Amino acid sequence: MAGVLATERTLPGFSFENCKRNSTLLQQGFKPPTAQKTGTTIVGIVYRDGVILGADTRATEGSTVADKNCSKIHFLADNIYCCGAGTAADTEMTTMTIMSQLELHRLNTGRPVRVSTAKQLLKQLLFRYQGHIGAALVVGGVDVTGPLLYSIHPHGSSECLPFTTMGSGSLAAMTVLESSWKPDLTEEEGKVIVRNAIAAGIFNDLGSGSNVDVCIIRKGSVDYIRPFDIANLKGQKQNNYRFRRGTTGVLSTRIIPLVTESEEIKKTEVESMDTSA
Amino acid sequence: MALEALLGVKESFVHPFAAEEEGKGDFVINSFNNQLQLSLPPLANPLSSRTNFESEECGRKIKINFDHGTTTLGFVYKNGVILAVDSRATGGQYIGSQSMKKIIEIHKYLVGTMAGGAADCVYWDRVLAKQCRLYELRNKSRISTAAASKLMANMAFSYKGMGLSMGMMIAGYDKNGPSLYYVDSEGQRTKGKVYSVGSGSVYAFGVLDSGYSFDLEDNDAYELARRSIYHATYRDSYSGGIIRVYHMKSTGWEVISQQDCLELYHKYKDDKPLLSQ
Amino acid sequence: MSILAYNGSAVIAMKGKDCVAIASDLRFGIQGQTVSTNFEKIFEMGPHLYIGLPGLTTDTFTVLNKLKFRANMFELKEDRKIAPDVFLSMVSNLLYERRFGPFFVEPIIAGLKPKTFEPFIASMDLLGCPNKPEDFVVAGTASEQLYGMCEALWEPDLSPEDLFETISQALVNACDRDALSGWGASVYIIEKDKVTHRRIKTRMD
Repeated sequence: MAGVLATERTLPGFSFENCKRNSTLLQQGFKPPTAQKTGTTIVGIVYRDGVILGADTRATEGSTVADKNCSKIHFLADNIYCCGAGTAADTEMTTMTIMSQLELHRLNTGRPVRVSTAKQLLKQLLFRYQGHIGAALVVGGVDVTGPLLYSIHPHGSSECLPFTTMGSGSLAAMTVLESSWKPDLTEEEGKVIVRNAIAAGIFNDLGSGSNVDVCIIRKGSVDYIRPFDIANLKGQKQNNYRFRRGTTGVLSTRIIPLVTESEEIKKTEVESMDTSA
Repeated sequence: MALEALLGVKESFVHPFAAEEEGKGDFVINSFNNQLQLSLPPLANPLSSRTNFESEECGRKIKINFDHGTTTLGFVYKNGVILAVDSRATGGQYIGSQSMKKIIEIHKYLVGTMAGGAADCVYWDRVLAKQCRLYELRNKSRISTAAASKLMANMAFSYKGMGLSMGMMIAGYDKNGPSLYYVDSEGQRTKGKVYSVGSGSVYAFGVLDSGYSFDLEDNDAYELARRSIYHATYRDSYSGGIIRVYHMKSTGWEVISQQDCLELYHKYKDDKPLLSQ
Repeated sequence: MSILAYNGSAVIAMKGKDCVAIASDLRFGIQGQTVSTNFEKIFEMGPHLYIGLPGLTTDTFTVLNKLKFRANMFELKEDRKIAPDVFLSMVSNLLYERRFGPFFVEPIIAGLKPKTFEPFIASMDLLGCPNKPEDFVVAGTASEQLYGMCEALWEPDLSPEDLFETISQALVNACDRDALSGWGASVYIIEKDKVTHRRIKTRMD
């Protein structure tokens, strides 16, 4: 289709060009590798003045901890955040996509987006892919209708709840929420409950671990505390294994010098973006 | 015997199927009394597919094949038999050991090399050693290499198709002079002059065949064996570690050299190719 | 057997004080057979920017060419060198586009940020989920062994010389326990004013 000189035309959306090859490989017995997962504990609760979201910070690849301090609470809009569990790339990319759509929506309508809009966009996207995008989400935010909390499943179903949890540590976290959540919690009480729920996941679920991240969304303000609590303090190394210089046998050395030939600094006035119209 | 009794192990000379008949509580191990008889699964047909315990209940594969990659070689020449082996043991791509002893000294005039399942080779070599010693005590003369290899082949044949994995060379020096046999878990047994067994055998043969002659001098023969294994370790991922060279002489076996591959790499790196010597 | 282990590879990157290091083994094999021992898996994407592409070799090259194309287009459009964090997004997007038919590579990016010369390392899974830790990133068939070595050897604020020893020893010793990687190694130490590329001595079996 494209000539030799024509530039690559990238179509929007997913590319399926490798699918046939990969399924042939699978038939030959080459199993596709495991993607990074956030075997996760994520929770969200509604309290008196808003919503508190919480998450652990472990990402796993099979039985290996791939990331000890990953961020699972994603920004969607100034007043909406979203916790993600499942395939790490999916939660990351899905929330990013919806984030930009919400921003465009905000600019088009000229008013802060509603949490239900975010929920609707997310679930419609997930439903379209019939669960193949493995993202389990907890969306929380405050809009004109007040604090709202939704959980969205990978197949696109959602529910609006006063407290919810998702991920592999959800059973552990739910025990805490079921026993301690009550309506009209104060912010301090809420933070403790969220912290305890995540800690329950961290300590009782192998897929969850490391720190507790918390995000408090009130009307008009947000506190994203990362880390909120370091549940597992790593011991200090007593000694080091630093190698004596010259331990490694060097066969050849090539030094690529990086000389700055010229440097020009242009000062430009920051122009404010035109948001009228 | 005392330990067996303490552990509640029941002696039984009967066929393993007895375990089923005598009740479930009994734990029968035949191999304590008769090493030629391994405990078989208590099924009417132990060869049926259910005996291939290759995956556990969740469908995950059970790793039963340890140490599959190997390079071993042996050849007969005017002054006896030369055996050379590498020392790497792999479980899949993981290197379990770099110092395996793949030549087993059965007695002074009989040695075996192992390739395939490490446990299978070690066990059956040990049984063979016992049988050979018994033969010697009964008959007041050493067992011939031919007879020893036949014992091994018969033992292997009786378990044909049940998952044993062995490819061994048996080298000996008896009344008829030096001889070399190849025996494998399929029950094959052949006498020959030049053998190489294992995943790296193709590479080893490449060097071995180009330099082999019956009238080699001792040092040339050692060097040929060493180089053949060395080049196989370079090309074959599953071979490596220490290269051991043994010489079976009229006076019994002798260790010629045990050298690390790294040492040999730097020795051979600047050397002329073997053929031009 | 995983398709990522078809050719065998090991790549690692580490942060130091005002410097970063990225290293890889040099083996190119087809399952158990070693085909070449002079195969670089680290590629220069800018003066202070390197990418390691361990995984299936055919995809290493496809991804590399696609990335070079996109990075060059970026430079032409923007009239500036691409920064490591921007490049990370570029790689991540390229991989996620193929969410349902992925390339079998697990890229590792190492570089210094422009202007500030702040160290930057990142890794991705084959779907493009970025991971930006404070210490080290590893990928390839020897990744488990590399994780073990790095957890023991790495410490913060290593000087370029010490970083070289640390990353080299981590790589060499990890490869010694992996059948599918090794056969020589190549180490890049990226500093503000120079990049030092060394070939180091390893086992050849």
